[in-house]
Parts: sequence; C-alpha cells; structure tokens
Amino acid sequence: MAQEMAMLHDIARCSACRACMVACKQWHDLPADMSTPFEGQYQSHATLTPTTWTLIRMTEHTDDKGKFNWDFVKTQCMHCGDPACAKGCPEEAIDKLASGAVVINEEKCVGCGYCVANCPFDVPKINPQTHKSTKCDLCFDRIEEGITPSCAKTCTADALQFAPYEEIEEIARQRVAELKAEGHPDANVYNPQGVGGVHMIYVLPEKPMVYGFNPQSKTPVSIDIWKDVVRPLGKLAGAGALVGVLGLAAVKGLTGKKKQDDDQNGKGEH
Amino acid sequence: MSKSITYIKRHKKGFIYFHWINAVTFFLLFLTAMPLYTNKFLFLYEAFGAETLQTMHHILGVIFILNPIVALLITARSGIFTLIREVLRFDKDDVKFLVKFPAELIGREPKGMPKQGFYNGGERMNILLQALLWLGFVVSGLTLWLGAGHISPTIRTWMIPLHSLCADLGFAAAIGHIYLAIGVNPDSFQGMRDGTVKESYAKHHHAKWVDSLEKEGKLETVERIVK
Repeated sequence: MAQEMAMLHDIARCSACRACMVACKQWHDLPADMSTPFEGQYQSHATLTPTTWTLIRMTEHTDDKGKFNWDFVKTQCMHCGDPACAKGCPEEAIDKLASGAVVINEEKCVGCGYCVANCPFDVPKINPQTHKSTKCDLCFDRIEEGITPSCAKTCTADALQFAPYEEIEEIARQRVAELKAEGHPDANVYNPQGVGGVHMIYVLPEKPMVYGFNPQSKTPVSIDIWKDVVRPLGKLAGAGALVGVLGLAAVKGLTGKKKQDDDQNGKGEH
Repeated sequence: MSKSITYIKRHKKGFIYFHWINAVTFFLLFLTAMPLYTNKFLFLYEAFGAETLQTMHHILGVIFILNPIVALLITARSGIFTLIREVLRFDKDDVKFLVKFPAELIGREPKGMPKQGFYNGGERMNILLQALLWLGFVVSGLTLWLGAGHISPTIRTWMIPLHSLCADLGFAAAIGHIYLAIGVNPDSFQGMRDGTVKESYAKHHHAKWVDSLEKEGKLETVERIVK
C-alpha cells in the first residue's frame, strides 16, 4: 500500500490490558521476555528489549486539582518522517517505506548500534543473540496486504487506531477537542515536527512532559554532519594523502636527487 | 669496501615498543572500523563476521588507550614535562623550518635550514596532533561504547562524527608520517628499529639536540661496520 498511514494511541482510552503487547509478540513470533524481574510493579518490562517491541509504560502524576492519575503510554518506534536511525545507519539497512513504516532489514544490519545512539526516542535495541538491531516495524508486511497492524487490530478499547495519515490527524484533533471539553485544557496531539513528524501519534490529556515525551525531540544534526561532511571529507583526506604521497614520491624519483646523508660527515653547514 | 659509521643513541627501547604498539593498533582499529565507513570494505565483515570485528575493535581500543598511559608512566615518567614543554614550544626557527621543509618532500635539500632540536617543528606538530587525536578517539570511543544511560543522547550522537573525524585526520597524518619515514628520511626510520640514528643524520637534522648532548657529555655513540 503506497498510501501514507499512521497509528494513534489515545492515552485517555487505554486500559493497559496489554493485548497489544501480546499481539505484537504473536505476529512477530517473539519469545516471552523475562528480563525484568518481578518486584511488585504492574509495568511488565522496564524498557523495550530486543524481543519486546512495544510496551505499555505506566506513569503516575498528580494534576493541579490534586487528582491522582495513573497513565498508560504505549511505547514503541515512532516511525519518524525524518528517521535518525535510517540516516545514521552505515549499511543503509533501515528503510522508510511509503506507508511511513521505518523498517530494519536484518540481512543488511551489522549490529553496529549507530541507530541505538542516534534514535531520539531510545527505541532500537541490539539483540545480543543475533547481533542485529530490533524494533517495531509497524507490521509493514500486514500494511502491504491492507491489514491493520496486529496491536491496533487487537485493541478492544479503541485506544489504538490505524488509518491513512490525514484521517488519523482528524481523529486526533477531534479527540483533543473532546478532552478539552471534558476538563483537560492542556490536551494535545503529540506529533513532534523536529523529527519530521511521526507515524505513531498520541492524544495526550496533559502536556507531553507529564508522560515523559519531549516536545522538542529532533533528528540530531550530528548525523547529517557525519554522513554529509565527515565521511566524504575522510575519504577525500585518505585518498588525497595516498595520491599526494605517491605524487611526491614520483617527483622525487624523477628529479632523481638523492640525499647525501649517508656520508660519514654529513653536511656541516646545516 | 667497508667503512665504519657512527650512530647516536636516540630512542629508548620502551619508546620504540610504545611507537609500534600504537602504530599496529591504530591500523587494526582503522581496518576493523572501515566497513562502517565505506561499503568497499564490507567484505571484511563478510569474511570475519561483523560481531567479531566489532569485538576486536573494542579490545584493540583498550590497548590503544592503555599503551600511551603505560608508556608515559613507566618509560617517560621523568620526561613528561620536558616533552609537554617541547611540544608546546613554537618559535621563529620552527616557522622557518616549516616554510623551507616542503622541498624535502621531493628530495631537495633546502638551504639555510635553522638548527633543530630533538624534534623539529613538524615532528612536534605531529606529536601534538597525535595527542589530541588520541584524546578525541578515547573520549568519543568510550562514550559511544559505554556511555548509554550515563551520558546524554545529544552528546553521544556528536561522538559519531567526532570519532570519524579523528580517524580521517589520523589516517591522512599516518600516510604522511610513513612517507616521511620511508621515502624522505630513511635514516630516521632506523631510530624506530634499534633506537640509533647515523651521526651525520643527527647533525644534519637535529643539530641543536646533538650540540646539547655534546655540551652535557651525554652523547652515546655506537660504531658499526657497513659494507
């Protein structure tokens, strides 16, 4: 499907049933992940892991009216419009598809971790077993067949929705208007433009920071400097030094003047 | 016909080991990282496995970090401050040297070269460059390798271009350095093999140093018969 798509997580609707997490594991055939020991918490995993590509993160806050809130935030790849991971990948192993999905090509991935270092959302994780980078692929294979990604498909609360980009934007706007009417004046759509917009859009009842989102998230400039300046410069400098040295050697050989340092006495005048 | 040639002791054994360990680790570090730099070197990953080369890069990195620290602490402890003072000194003789020196690159002998000390102006610039590159490599390399979770992502992302920039400059400088040692002044190369250089070479290229050794009575010479 060549159409640009988007997913929406409506935090006000999420009940943290975590069916999305299970559906993701089923579709991608990912094993159970016991990396976070149970210490009495409700949140299943501390962070995303190489085999947990989506996670319901739980945050707590008390609003200005003194009301306690327990919020559930679906954490996963944001599928940026200007993906730093793809830009920073030395092997061009990460593609941004027409649907908006940003997908790692496991065949090409060498596990260098540049995507991990460059991602403004701390999403990709290197799988130590396969030495490949891993993350949510927005079920790009399902999208190509016209099917909704597994997480959105399974969501019973309509907290997750998947549709063409403009449609999702419209739904998000409506939901924010509803939330404002319900007494959440700070309600907003989280779609940071610093990363070229995202294809994983959130409807937030409060300011982004409350949920650990940075409204200023942006694709780092450093990666452009690396790819467009430092790397070409290095090739130029390396090749230049080699060619230069060969040229000098050739001139030296042709002009044929051998140094006379071999003399016992050398050149006294120097 | 054989003749006797006088050699002067120039480098300590420890310094020679330090130099070669640094040189070999630098080139292996360079090679193990090349596949991330250009696809022309991807065959190295295909031949040895990406993970193997990345692990090797880490191990070599540790050697690259420890080598100068160990060398400075053990073999050059007494001379650290002299070295730093030497390297940071830059006077009008150095300027004159740098202006006249390029002719040597094509085998000419510039006239009126000022007398040079233990290191000439160009060598001292190289030492300073290498020291800065080492620092750049170590800070950026360690941050990328171990910085996750400790150092802000914004800083970490800048370490990728910094690390590469150090490699750019380091490789170009190394090529120039090798050419000078093998092509231009093969006598200086001897100093990195057994620590001695021909007296004639020393007087020609490092007259100030030889003068000061003679004055202090510290000149150590070796006679060798060559055919």
